[in-house]
Amino acid sequence: MNTPESLEPLDQRLAELRAALQSVKAPAALDDALAARFRRQHAMRRPALWWMPPLALAAAVALVTWMVRGPMPRPVLPEALPTAAADAGPFLALKPLERIALEPGTTVVATEFPRALLADWGLPVSPERAGEPVRAEMLYSADGEALAVRLLN
Amino acid sequence: MPMPPHDPHAEQALLGRLKSGDEAAFDTLYRRHKDAVYRFALLYCGAGAAADVTQDSFMHLITHPGQYDPARGTVAAWLCGIARNLARRHLGLREVATDPADLDDTLPHEAHIDTETPLDRVLRNESADEVRRAIAALAPHYRDVLVLCELSELSYAEAAQVCGIEIGTVRSRLSRARAQLAQTLAPRPRAKEAM
Repeated sequence: MNTPESLEPLDQRLAELRAALQSVKAPAALDDALAARFRRQHAMRRPALWWMPPLALAAAVALVTWMVRGPMPRPVLPEALPTAAADAGPFLALKPLERIALEPGTTVVATEFPRALLADWGLPVSPERAGEPVRAEMLYSADGEALAVRLLN
Repeated sequence: MPMPPHDPHAEQALLGRLKSGDEAAFDTLYRRHKDAVYRFALLYCGAGAAADVTQDSFMHLITHPGQYDPARGTVAAWLCGIARNLARRHLGLREVATDPADLDDTLPHEAHIDTETPLDRVLRNESADEVRRAIAALAPHYRDVLVLCELSELSYAEAAQVCGIEIGTVRSRLSRARAQLAQTLAPRPRAKEAM
């Protein structure tokens, strides 16, 4: 049985061990190893940039393709109407306007015909020029009936 | 060999900076606690494994700083608990029962006594070395509380936290550990005197 008296030397000897241990230090070799491990750990936790190389590659491919093929073609605009048409006057209705307005599908056709034909539509014709051709645009209905005419010269 | 004094708030601030990758914060915590952790490991599992246990303990600090719960104790006690678990794993010990009455107190665990260690070379004091050897021969559950309370100077509450036992169990184990140690260290009658 241990009495308090018998434990007194134990306290003293434990104190001696505590004092002796004060000179014991952790090996210095651990310092660098742990510092390196810390740096590695936090380097791994940085945001991943794995998507950067594929993105750069895709951008390079797109740039080279654009340079080789040239700029994207612009949309083709309809060709401008002939100057003569631009200068032409208004259409002369050959049928009542209400009917022309109700026609579902009309077509404008450039044509040329004898000037004498104008007399049939009630237009004045000089006898000296009756044999000359006339350039005109005809507005036809879907079934081919002449609805209006515009003289081009 | 007391655990270093600490300001809990300052240590928590250091841990917060450590989590965000502040190497200076890690360095401060490491330098503050490394020797105490190493001494604990040295007493617990000997010089052959003490460095590894110390390194692995701080690796754990680096990789799992979020596991520290300030409500459960100090950083020093937490590190000691990590070192203890690692040392026990190193020694191949399984967790022992919490009731000392269930344990065999009579057989010293001589397997962990070193024959020649760096500590032997440091401790020129023969008496201190004899005490260390006697502690190494204690059963692990007694060695735990004796090293934590007597040599690392943790409070009973901190030792209880480290070992995962009740404070009352710490007290009873410490009492029995001291008694066993005193018995081991008691002068033995020489053979001539005995005859």
